[in-house]
Amino acid sequence: MSVSTETERRGAPAGPWDDSALAEREPFRELIAEGELRAVGVRPSIGAYLRDIWARRHFLVYDARSRVLTKNSKHRLGSVWLVGKPVLDAAFFFVIFGLVLQIDRGIENYPGFIIIGVLLFRYTANSMTQSASLMHSNRAMIHAFSFPRASLVISLALRELFAVVPLLAAVFVMLMIIPPHEFPSLSWLMVLPLVPLQALMNLGVSFIVARIGVSLPDISFGFNFLSRVLMYGSGVIFPIERFISHPAIYEVMTNNPLFILLNMYRTMLLDHTVPPLGDWLTIAAWGAGLTVVGFLMFWKAEERYGRH
Amino acid sequence: MAGTEDHRGETSILVDSVSLTYTSTSGSSPLSRFRPGQGRARRTQVHAVRDVSFSVTRGEFVGLVGRNGSGKSSLLRVIAGVEPATSGTVYARSTPTLIGVSAALIGEMTGSENITLGCLAMGLSPAEVERARPAVEELAGLGAAIERPMKTYSSGMGARLRFAISRASHPEILLIDEALSTGDASFADRSRRAMDEALEDAGTIFLVSHAAQTIEELCTRAIWLEQGRLVMDGPAEEVARQYRWFAHVLAEGDEEKALGLLNDAHAENRRQYG
Repeated sequence: MSVSTETERRGAPAGPWDDSALAEREPFRELIAEGELRAVGVRPSIGAYLRDIWARRHFLVYDARSRVLTKNSKHRLGSVWLVGKPVLDAAFFFVIFGLVLQIDRGIENYPGFIIIGVLLFRYTANSMTQSASLMHSNRAMIHAFSFPRASLVISLALRELFAVVPLLAAVFVMLMIIPPHEFPSLSWLMVLPLVPLQALMNLGVSFIVARIGVSLPDISFGFNFLSRVLMYGSGVIFPIERFISHPAIYEVMTNNPLFILLNMYRTMLLDHTVPPLGDWLTIAAWGAGLTVVGFLMFWKAEERYGRH
Repeated sequence: MAGTEDHRGETSILVDSVSLTYTSTSGSSPLSRFRPGQGRARRTQVHAVRDVSFSVTRGEFVGLVGRNGSGKSSLLRVIAGVEPATSGTVYARSTPTLIGVSAALIGEMTGSENITLGCLAMGLSPAEVERARPAVEELAGLGAAIERPMKTYSSGMGARLRFAISRASHPEILLIDEALSTGDASFADRSRRAMDEALEDAGTIFLVSHAAQTIEELCTRAIWLEQGRLVMDGPAEEVARQYRWFAHVLAEGDEEKALGLLNDAHAENRRQYG
């Protein structure tokens, strides 16, 4: 049935109509001008946007906590898998690179090197790959009610932060029980400020990746690939910098924030010393920079996330 | 109904020339877009809502009626602000609340935990959630089942809980998308009372339904959409009567006659309210 043309032809009885848009007519024009009626679904100013997110902080925390706790409930061992899976990964990499390939090259505590690398790299890599499809996988919620969409990214960052707590416990326990045993020292406490800095960096990356994932859904393959490149380029499983002789590549690699970050964790946990201040500042600057840029990018496109 | 000069202070929603168009790439094979001369030409546009305008005042209970695919749910999403209109603007006195909070709920959690989650999602503070909890539990009427995981609920029980949660924030403008089709008779009764209360909150309610009877029983005013266009806007009984007649004729397979009815209703509407 084509109603449109037929309706237009027949449904236009003669008579003087007011054909102007409703918003131009009284009393609506006045109500809109007075701010009594406000446009729905337009991007708020950045201040209002931040206030909106702040008003939902209780929801963000409660939602993230519930989702972390119920995520593995369909598996028999439940939350044990939060720790079990990364531990299995670390064991696998240790067998391949430590026992089969014997790539340790005189690292004192190679199992410790791998455990820290794999488990803490996973924290960032997970955030990145999940963000690529974040807006797509949450479209039911986006279509169901209106809320600042950046909440979804923050909620993901909170979920990952909650999940990293048992992971860190696993790192500590493994370092202690696997030879050559490392025992807690004061420098281990420095992990406490470093994890939030990594979380901030992850948040910034998530904003950027989630925003790009909306315009270019195919990019999720790209980020899976990128996370593998980063895994080898950041010295996650073997001290890659010792294999590089090209000076430019060496510079890029050793200035990569993930490389610095993992290095800092190893300095604290394996060498029992506090990393230099320069490293802290570099990581903090990356975290703040990525988060501000990512947040602005994300906010700019606020109206797009609801489109089909 | 478009011009309501005497209700100047009471306009709660103004829908101004709203259109919503989806562009989708058709074609069965993903390879077709690589064939020369085809790719972009295969894009089709779907006009979900076409140039719809109306205004609603406080205390009105508006039914959006129309067949499946007539654009009524799309229009509701635009009014809710969850999907931006392709052109035109919706103005509102306060943020409209779509009953869709179900998307935030988690099946593994108990009903009572989901009340907390859903209320927080709508922007209530933890103290407000505790104050709203007894009323939500009463309206849902689940008894002891409120402490069971939500995934163990029947679909009717789930619908009751979701409706009860979305009433908790006492929104001034409430948007409902066929929420009442599930639930037994006693719940239908309770939800009707809840909606009367919502109206008394000096509120406005939108209800989407393809059933003329629902619209007739609950609403004061109805807007009939067909293929994204506003066909008729008027008192609920009158619109429901014409819509039911149209649907009946169409069901009998007389498209020609149905089209005539549609055009008559549209012409009538323009003559009266244009």
